[in-house]
Amino acid sequence: MAVSPLIPNPASHAAKTTDATRESEVNGSERSPYKHNMKYSSHVTNEREITEQLNDDVRHKYIKDKRLGEGTYAVVFLGHLRTDPSSFVAIKKIKINAEYKDGLSMDAIREVKYLQELSHPNIIALHDVFSSKDQNLNLVLEYLPRGDLEMLIKDTNIHYGVADIKAWMGMLARGVWFCHENFILHRDIKPNNLLIAADGEVKLADFGLARSFADPYLNMTHQVITRWYRPPELLFGARQYSGVVDIWSMGMVFAELLLRVPFVAGNTDLDQITKICEAFGTPNEDNWPGVTKLPNYLPADPNHVVPLQGRDFFLRQFPTAGPVGADLLMSMCTFDPKKRSTACRVLQHGWWTTEPTPTDKKNLPRKIDGVKKMGADLTRRGGEIEDSTFKNAARQLNFTAARD
Amino acid sequence: MPSAREAMANRGDDDEVCPVCKSSRYLNPDMQFLINPECYHKMCESCVDRIFSSGPANCPVAGCHKTLRKARFRKQTFEDINVEREVDIRRRVMQILNRREEEFDSKRAWDDFLEQREEIIANLVHGTDVAKTESDLQKYASENMRSIRANQALEAQEASSLKEQQTHEQELARLRREAAKQEYENERRELQASREDVLTRLAAGRPGDAAAIAREGKKVLLKKSSARRSEEDRIRQKQAALRNSDARKAGQGGLTADKADIAGDSGLIKGLKKIVTPEPEKPYDPFGGMVPNKRDYYTLRDFYPSSYLDPIRQDTRMQAGGYDLQEYYSRTLMEAFAGLGCFIDEEVAQRDDAGSLGVSRPAATQGAAQAAVSSTGTPEAS
Amino acid sequence: MIEDDFYRTSSQYRLWSFTAASLQAQRATTNAVASDRVRAAIRRAQEARRSATSSATGTPVPEVEGSTSTSTSTNHPAKAEEKPIECLTPEEEQQTVSYYCEQIIQLGEAYKPPLPTIVRATAIQYLRRFYLTNSPMTYHPKQIMPCALFLATKTDNYYMSLRQFADGVPGDTTAEDIIAPEFVVMQSLRFTFDVRHPFRGLEGGIMELQALAAGQGQPAPHLAATTQTQTPESLQRGLLALPLSSSSKNITDRIARAHHTTREILKSAAQITDVYFLFTPAQIWLAALMLADRALAEYYLDTKLGTPAPSSSVQEAEAADGLAALRPKLLRTLNDCAVMLQAYKPLASDPDQMKTLRRIIGKKLYHCQNPEKVNLGGAGQKRIPAAALASSAAAAAAAATPTGGVDSGASESEMERLAKKRKLETAAESSSGSKDIFGGELVMQRTKER
Repeated sequence: MAVSPLIPNPASHAAKTTDATRESEVNGSERSPYKHNMKYSSHVTNEREITEQLNDDVRHKYIKDKRLGEGTYAVVFLGHLRTDPSSFVAIKKIKINAEYKDGLSMDAIREVKYLQELSHPNIIALHDVFSSKDQNLNLVLEYLPRGDLEMLIKDTNIHYGVADIKAWMGMLARGVWFCHENFILHRDIKPNNLLIAADGEVKLADFGLARSFADPYLNMTHQVITRWYRPPELLFGARQYSGVVDIWSMGMVFAELLLRVPFVAGNTDLDQITKICEAFGTPNEDNWPGVTKLPNYLPADPNHVVPLQGRDFFLRQFPTAGPVGADLLMSMCTFDPKKRSTACRVLQHGWWTTEPTPTDKKNLPRKIDGVKKMGADLTRRGGEIEDSTFKNAARQLNFTAARD
Repeated sequence: MPSAREAMANRGDDDEVCPVCKSSRYLNPDMQFLINPECYHKMCESCVDRIFSSGPANCPVAGCHKTLRKARFRKQTFEDINVEREVDIRRRVMQILNRREEEFDSKRAWDDFLEQREEIIANLVHGTDVAKTESDLQKYASENMRSIRANQALEAQEASSLKEQQTHEQELARLRREAAKQEYENERRELQASREDVLTRLAAGRPGDAAAIAREGKKVLLKKSSARRSEEDRIRQKQAALRNSDARKAGQGGLTADKADIAGDSGLIKGLKKIVTPEPEKPYDPFGGMVPNKRDYYTLRDFYPSSYLDPIRQDTRMQAGGYDLQEYYSRTLMEAFAGLGCFIDEEVAQRDDAGSLGVSRPAATQGAAQAAVSSTGTPEAS
Repeated sequence: MIEDDFYRTSSQYRLWSFTAASLQAQRATTNAVASDRVRAAIRRAQEARRSATSSATGTPVPEVEGSTSTSTSTNHPAKAEEKPIECLTPEEEQQTVSYYCEQIIQLGEAYKPPLPTIVRATAIQYLRRFYLTNSPMTYHPKQIMPCALFLATKTDNYYMSLRQFADGVPGDTTAEDIIAPEFVVMQSLRFTFDVRHPFRGLEGGIMELQALAAGQGQPAPHLAATTQTQTPESLQRGLLALPLSSSSKNITDRIARAHHTTREILKSAAQITDVYFLFTPAQIWLAALMLADRALAEYYLDTKLGTPAPSSSVQEAEAADGLAALRPKLLRTLNDCAVMLQAYKPLASDPDQMKTLRRIIGKKLYHCQNPEKVNLGGAGQKRIPAAALASSAAAAAAAATPTGGVDSGASESEMERLAKKRKLETAAESSSGSKDIFGGELVMQRTKER
């Protein structure tokens, strides 16, 4: 029985009873966009729950404009402040996942949880969160119209030099360092999660795989970070790890900026391990104590043992970085996480102060239309590579396993 | 048009007589007329010599009391004395108000400036509000001396570089023509040489080889010419790139020099870009202004005795995975003291008073408190 | 101080910190608004029922989907026609919430393995934050509590599937029941999920105390630069010179005991009282440590702030000025916090409080539950069938009538009927399992008393 004869028709109901409260409830919450200005007057408080009022206050601060991108996970709109049409924001509307019965998805929860706490020039700013009428979650994010690092790496018309790379890497390293200072792992650093603001600032985005860290005896999942950027300890199934997982990813981004192609691009997790070993050498108990005890460690084929690559390899492979730059890259791509540089050590490295000085952010090479790319980036789920290489996604987070 | 033609026709009669000494061109074919931009009264060269050689004097035309100097007399360019005058005024104003488009914040501001300049010129031409306009102009000129000079220099530079570029292009065209000629010559010579080569080989070889030798000869020829062509292409591209970068450098240099010279917004012209004096180059700070590892309440140690944590140091798996006790130390101690000196009662009260956060936090505002009081006071209020 | 600025960036500081006065005002507002809305809703339900009975005389009214288990609570409006509806006071609301916070601790214990302390603590803070802008009259804590706990498992990296979680919840609560209010909860939390707890800070402090005891203490940064008075040895001597409290064998034992006691305080008193709203985590754990071992806590603070000893030179006092100035204010604040923590008595262990609670939850709240919010699907969850969403008021109104086909609104018979129905319900509840910790226990006791 869908409609009971007892359901009162709001109109006739109002006419009969002159129940002003109900009348205004219908009008107030649905149609009048300016009600929020009269905050807390007794009239308004009776119309809606306080939480709804607070939410509406936030919601009415913004106006949604055109749609920038749509993915399976979210839709991104261009928006602006109601009070200032020139102040752009990106509004990321997270779709309700019908298949996921457990409420709001973990990606959304993580992204909201951590971005609410982080405020740094190199981390995408979350200005506000509100729910729209249909109970969708809307994240009001910083507007970053100049695309991402992936776009610059791939665009052969764009020429950049080591001073530009230094500037980008510096901004990335500061963002990562700040996350780690706040005891948050990003766990999905890759070029298309590094968005570029109008002033050229690089911003770390997509915190869908982020989590807090450092507690002892607490297992974490190793199925994180997009494969090409995933450090060997995670490929070997380590369940207790540290901030330097993000540093490996940073190193891979560094290498990719220098080479303009992904440095180690495996087709499967196994292939990724093989390719890493081919590139950097074969890990063993000498260069990485305890590696053979890691859950998914696979002994190397004795016929294909590659000696651990030293400084001269990095110099040869990345001549543009210069000797100091190659040294920094090597410290970021060290197998043994214990010996890999931390974010703080990366920033203390001598490369930043050697010639050439990093390009001023306003003079960095740029692409004009990055807005669409931002739309695409923000709708992607964490761990995904672009659609074409979707197979590589590190998506299946096994949460139950993660807890052990 | 008719009026112009008329003026032309009249010229022979009226204009050929000096209004001062009344001598006519008819009697004196070498007679030259001069004007002075003070009053634009025309007189013959000998009158000017006669009256002004001994120093400044009043204009001899009846009713005109302008003091004129000999040095400023010159030949008339335009027949219509009004046009002559307007052009003079325009030139003078343009020399002072010589702002450039790139100096303005927006297209709109630039357009406003252009309109304003036209208005000033029109005022001076038609004699409206001359005193004020002149004083404004003088004031601007003295205040913006540097910018005016810089822009003049820039203009001169542009003019000369334009000329340079033109001659450069002509030179290049000549070189290209010569190169083409040379190329043609080379090709012709090679063709001839290879033909001779083929002929000699044909003469030396067996009859069956003839076709093969001919084909080969053609191939070699083709290869040579294409190799030559791509080599030339490359050189040409390189030259083009070099030219471009030179031009860009020159442009940038000019612009920065210009900017450095300008003192700032002038009272007369609105919408000029704010001049940012380039800050002295600070050394690059990798940490972006933050100080790593600085703490106020505690000094972080490398090791803390703890029976709870000791097993971790022995756990190979955790060690190999990179688990870092240092990070745990750092976090626990940070959390032990984060906010120790935050006195919520004081700070939140201040924040509430500031009132800026009424919307962004759930705390009750005064209005809410009042609403609460009033509605509890009258339970049946609604 | 750098550490303080670190805390000031947190959403807990920005959105969830209050003065005592503003906290009270917020609760008063929430209560006032909810009361008005409850009264209006109940009146509407009466209206609807009256018009329904007049139009559908004699014909049996079909049951409306989605208003099953809790529909009875909407039956009381008939009574309200005679008497003004008695709403909960802010204090009663707070007691109700506190009771369900305690229930979270127990529910978490029931899982195998038990849910981590931090997950339960987060859930409790979610519940407390939720009821700053919502009233138990609008959303019954019984429905919100499991949702808050499930949300906490997600936000605190202790993820389990909803099904798995629901299995651990006693009673016949379904997975859908648990997840239904999730959006309302998140919206009320203003989409801030991070809660800064004092637990990890306590571990840090204990680590430092142990280092002090082992002669490995580090002087405080401010004091280190200016004086030579703090050396690892002097710090250790000072610690050992503390007057021994009752039963500790040695200093290690003493620290371990203090650690344990403090942790217990943080798990209970710190969760159920308002300290999270009024103080910072650093202040909370230090205040708890003061309750556990005052001398130890004060000595530890002295190593940080410098002793107020008059003998120290003027120079020294100036150098440590920032921290020394903090000292009196900090001690006052810690004392306030400690007083609040000490005043806490678990509700369950206090028969007087339980009696009051039984009156509030069992009777009063039962009568002033907002009928339009009984079905949380009405709050707009997409998962809830649309029929239920169509008009929660109508659903409530429809549900109010089915028993009395010829109900003329006679108050006497209505009250009788209500009483009967309630008795039946409580009987059903008690039979459904003694493990029902969703307030069922309260009602059970009531029936026993009768």
